[in-house]
Amino acid sequence: MSEETAMTSELLPPGLAYLADNILTRQNILGIDKEQGARWARGLDLPDTSGTIFFAGCGYQFSGQLEALMSLIKTMDKTVGAELPMRLAQFQKKLGLNLPAVYGKVFSRGGEAEAKPLVAAVKVLRKLGIEPGYLAANEPCCGAPLYQAGLQTKFAENARRAYQTMKTAGVKQIISIVPYCTHALQKLFPLYVEGYDIEVRHFLEIVAEKLPSLKLRFARRVRAAYHDPCQLVRYLRLIEEPRRILNAIEGIELVETAWTKGAWATCCGGGGGFEAVFPELSGILAVNRAKELMETKPDIIVTHCPGCIMQLKDGLRRLKIEGVEVLDLAEIIAMAIA
Amino acid sequence: MEKKSDFKSYKKEIMDAAHNERLRLALTRAVGSFRANVNKALEKYPHTIALAEEVLKIKEKAIPEMENLARQAIAAIEENKGKGYIARTAEEALDIISGLVGTKKLIVKGKSMTGEEIGLREHLEAKGNEVYETDLGEFIIQKLGDRPMHILSPSIHVPREDVARLFSKVFGKEIAPDAEIADMVAAAREYLRDKFFRADIGISGANAVAAETGTLFIIENEGNIRLATGAPPVHIALVGMEKLVPSLSDAFKVSEVTWRYANYTVPSYVSLVSGPSKTGDIEKVTTYGAHGPKEFHVIFLDGGRTRLAKYPKLMQALYCLRCGGCLYECPVFAVTAGHFGDKYFTGIGAVWAAIVNEDPEKAAAIAYTCLTCGRCRERCPMKIDVPEMILELRKMLAEGEK
Repeated sequence: MSEETAMTSELLPPGLAYLADNILTRQNILGIDKEQGARWARGLDLPDTSGTIFFAGCGYQFSGQLEALMSLIKTMDKTVGAELPMRLAQFQKKLGLNLPAVYGKVFSRGGEAEAKPLVAAVKVLRKLGIEPGYLAANEPCCGAPLYQAGLQTKFAENARRAYQTMKTAGVKQIISIVPYCTHALQKLFPLYVEGYDIEVRHFLEIVAEKLPSLKLRFARRVRAAYHDPCQLVRYLRLIEEPRRILNAIEGIELVETAWTKGAWATCCGGGGGFEAVFPELSGILAVNRAKELMETKPDIIVTHCPGCIMQLKDGLRRLKIEGVEVLDLAEIIAMAIA
Repeated sequence: MEKKSDFKSYKKEIMDAAHNERLRLALTRAVGSFRANVNKALEKYPHTIALAEEVLKIKEKAIPEMENLARQAIAAIEENKGKGYIARTAEEALDIISGLVGTKKLIVKGKSMTGEEIGLREHLEAKGNEVYETDLGEFIIQKLGDRPMHILSPSIHVPREDVARLFSKVFGKEIAPDAEIADMVAAAREYLRDKFFRADIGISGANAVAAETGTLFIIENEGNIRLATGAPPVHIALVGMEKLVPSLSDAFKVSEVTWRYANYTVPSYVSLVSGPSKTGDIEKVTTYGAHGPKEFHVIFLDGGRTRLAKYPKLMQALYCLRCGGCLYECPVFAVTAGHFGDKYFTGIGAVWAAIVNEDPEKAAAIAYTCLTCGRCRERCPMKIDVPEMILELRKMLAEGEK
């Protein structure tokens, strides 16, 4: 944690302070170079100004890095015990851990491939006749982890700055994909930014709307278990949209848990920065959710949140289940639309 | 703000619980049957959902008025020849009750979260009284020297083999680990039976109180509360002020919604108690203490509740009916039980820890354990927005606002 933004309260878990500090200083949760984060969009030639932008967010862009970080702190939580993993910054120095190098390694092994759902979503939007812009390195951070951590004053400041950045770039409408970002941009920004006038829609709403005009076919016949991310289902109430989409894809058989679906879906254990405070417990919850989903005997598990994907993969790994892939709904749609 | 909780030991407690396979097994079974039962109860009595909305409106009006309602209830109780008290703090409540009880008394007690909140049993024991928890789950907890892990099913985490071992020790006769549960229940009944009739004092809580008549509504299934509040010569009730509603019909509604969301179509018993036992059968002369208690005392506990009622986003914690439904929906509770909590469990417990117990360290530990996944809110008959409260608390804790 850098000196100038050091969080004052002793009650804020250091794991969350670390993410918050990165947002405030580097405009992303891991403090990674923004140019690197935007690399997924190379080759897509997205315009940097447009009334409508695609908002990529941190989660998918840095999913490789986040996974590396999480597996690191989950191991630390187990071996070193109680509080140390939360004091990441200090711990980093003590052990000579070089987080930027860890992240860099992920990038160099083609980490941007992890941002596949973003590429898929843009391709889908184009098929629907929407040509969004993308602010790339200039894309502000939504600041949701600040809000989750309880740093609402800082969240509000960040939101006002983010709004200004987007206004300056001429943004009128946002198509957002990460559930946490969407919730922040759509529901929280209006509470903190006076005169907030940017329309925010979630990627799935747009796809669901155009569904009647689409012919969707999946290359193979699969049983797909859908996992509802908390933010999508209980905060944004996108319950029917993903189901309508999956049901419209030829070859996909949507299978659901008997009880824990839709508004009753079980959290993957990655909610609200929980995994940064209770890494090991977060792993146990991931296993529980993966078990529930496996009861439906799926060939694949589909969800639509970078956090959930990471958690469910971890859950399956811990259960030693092989051959069941966790895929993002955006990828599924992109595969089916081609 | 002297109490300093330690995050490290809290986290260790949580993780030990999370790695306890027996606990997880017990909880998984409980969650499954609870959900099925609630759904069945709601299907059978579908009006409950609209009734819950009505109860929320009753609560929204009653909570800001709870102090006045308490005074009104006390006036009614005293008119009925009982006695009513307002206790500002937990200590005051303990003083009032131990003043009434004295020492060397035999006490039979019904399950009461409010009693747990102020440490009533321990206090009375320390004063030299013999106290028996008579709710079976609470009895098990008392004999184990444990603390409750669920508000309605305190011994939710204790498998039957452990109960058999415990009972063998306590009752001094062998109960096989594979004995029928019915035999364990019968043994407890036999052990407690004479305590009810020998007891000097019976202590209970209440699920709702009608201020206009001073009537306590007490919901139960075992029948222990009927005995504990009926057989001894003195009945003392400890009630959180948030349980007060204006009228009898309001209290009926609160009660019905409470038991239905607590997974019962209808409970075996609902006791309505408004005063001491009396008769006028001999020459119309009213005489107190016929078959029931001669004395009836009700202590309304503030204990931070009126303070909590002043926080716009946190006051909804006081709408809680203690049906326990949210606990079964919490993914963290599913692996830790009541270790995720303080006096009250899961996310809502953080609000009680912060405002009622004024223990910010504990509140922070609980607040940052909440996933803010929001499934509890789906279940809650009062639509209590736990994530909203948690985020508000985190703000207060992280930004140092109080």
